[in-house]
Amino acid sequence: MHNKASLALAVAIMLVSGYGLFAASAWPWKAALFPLAIGIPLFCMAAAEALWVLFGATEAKGQAMEFQISSHPQRARRTAVAIAWMLGFFAAIVLLGFPIAVPLFVLLYLRLQGSEGWVLSIVITLAVWGVFYGLFDRLLHLPFPDGWLLAWLGFSS
Amino acid sequence: MIEALFEGLILVLQWKALAFMLLGILLGFWVGLLPGLGGATTLALMLPFIYTMQPVEAFAFLLGMHSVTATTGDITSVLFGVPGEAASAATILDGHAMAKKGEAGRALGAVLASSLVGAIVGAFALAIAIPVVRPLVLTFGSPELFMLAIVGLAFIASLSSHGGRGMLRGFLAGGLGLFLATVGQDPQAGVARFTLDTLYLWQGLDLVPVLVGLFAIPEIIDLVVRGTSIAGTLPAGKLSKGAFEGVKDTFRHFGLTIRCSLIGTFIGIMPGMGGAVAQWMAYGHATQSARNAEERKGFGAGDVRGVLGPGAANNSKEGGSLIPTIAFGVPGSTAMAILLGGFFLLGLVPGPDMLTRHLPVTFSMVWTIVLANVVTVLVCFLFLNKLAKLTTVRGTLLVPVILVLVFIGSYTSNNHYGDIVVTLIFGGIGYLMVLGGWPRAPFVLGLVLGKIAENYLYISVARYEAAWLTRPVVLVLIAMAIAVILYPLYQSRRRTARA
Repeated sequence: MHNKASLALAVAIMLVSGYGLFAASAWPWKAALFPLAIGIPLFCMAAAEALWVLFGATEAKGQAMEFQISSHPQRARRTAVAIAWMLGFFAAIVLLGFPIAVPLFVLLYLRLQGSEGWVLSIVITLAVWGVFYGLFDRLLHLPFPDGWLLAWLGFSS
Repeated sequence: MIEALFEGLILVLQWKALAFMLLGILLGFWVGLLPGLGGATTLALMLPFIYTMQPVEAFAFLLGMHSVTATTGDITSVLFGVPGEAASAATILDGHAMAKKGEAGRALGAVLASSLVGAIVGAFALAIAIPVVRPLVLTFGSPELFMLAIVGLAFIASLSSHGGRGMLRGFLAGGLGLFLATVGQDPQAGVARFTLDTLYLWQGLDLVPVLVGLFAIPEIIDLVVRGTSIAGTLPAGKLSKGAFEGVKDTFRHFGLTIRCSLIGTFIGIMPGMGGAVAQWMAYGHATQSARNAEERKGFGAGDVRGVLGPGAANNSKEGGSLIPTIAFGVPGSTAMAILLGGFFLLGLVPGPDMLTRHLPVTFSMVWTIVLANVVTVLVCFLFLNKLAKLTTVRGTLLVPVILVLVFIGSYTSNNHYGDIVVTLIFGGIGYLMVLGGWPRAPFVLGLVLGKIAENYLYISVARYEAAWLTRPVVLVLIAMAIAVILYPLYQSRRRTARA
């Protein structure tokens, strides 16, 4: 798994830096100087890492000063579930806007994912919505646009 | 000078100035806790309110607010792995790892105590450095500042991982950060680089959505995977014992705390470097305090020294960045540039006047930094154990609340949905980096330093052509960068030979 992730990153960096070098070749030197100075060694190092993963003898795990992702028998499934909730929340924000998406997401997550009781779920949802509305909307006047779906249905303010 | 020092203290302790300072602290406290809302943004929002204030009251308000955001920003980093602001991200690596081991109280105690020490060192440096800092700042032209950025990157890339393979990944991460910093309109030729034909990317990648994604998303995924609280299934009662242990840790590693405070002050003095750089450089130095390979493996897994270093540097840089702002009118960071606006609003001109005629006002700033941090740390200690207990709350209750904070914090950076997309993309990259054993620290430092480094490189080449490489300070910095890269490899080879 460590090697797969490392290979994916190395290949992605090769693609990004390769595209960057290609694009920079058409720019004036002022704009191209830094991307070229960084892009060339970056491409070479990424290629070295990819070759190391493919042909190296040892698995290079735990070499960074970082936390380790927990090992769990259902890790892949639970990771997919977490990503799905995040993407769902983002979709709700875009379609319905923050003021509706925030309480909806909190309530649904607590009920469906957390299997929490109705009372606790509603109390937490109201508390989060209260902080969101009181602090970000009323006090700081941050501009939260209406959702696309609401605008399309003609409910936008 | 001594007279002005005490006059400055008396000015801050006048009831009106003190009241404004406390109000500033209250605002800064919450701003620090909320991801996305940085100290600089709040300074800009509050600037219009100082028109009617006296200079001492205005600086007590603004500096009181700004200096505590750095302290409280570390709290969410430790508890939830969500950086309160860009300059608090380095605390996550070991601070949140400690929280996961049930040592949230100890980590919070350590970060608060080291923050206080850092703030005092920074303020002390501000008080004594003004007369001597001029030659230092003038020695550093664009070539030296570019090389300083490269040394910083080499430093963190070589120290944030183990062995040759780890170092390669460190440099890859740092290089990727530098490369992605070129996204946006090029400042020299005006070319739109890697903007994918979107207006959003013209100003480049905003640091807050990137950092929030890079650090918070992998932690949230891990919390969902584990299905427990942040502290897991540790016995109750262990958490509350740690706060004073963290304070003791600060004094147990007092030399390290002071050294990291000095690093923060030095980075603060350098124009454009900022708090995020100071924290990561200090983290890199903290990892050097490990006596052997086994000890070094503890970093990233919850070593208290990895909390003390960034905590101290993050606060000491405030005093440092005030030095060029006050003495030369050259702001060391975005926040200081906004503060400079405050000087002009109040009719003060940075420069020699601030060191002679307005010296008591200058010293009142020193005292504000110290007092604001003392008040914040004392208040935090009252709630520390309660805060630490948040790590025992069920993950299913925390995840939706943290996600809401992450998404809103990210969105408020530019009030654009693109911010959330950036957070999600870098969340994926961060997750892959953790999974693949790549260090995230060099990536962040590369992204932070990229724009500064590019500007300095361009000016160096345009002004001196290749001759900038032969300047004495540049040569010293090149030698330092090479030594920083080669020394860990030499150490590793020697260890292998011995074994």
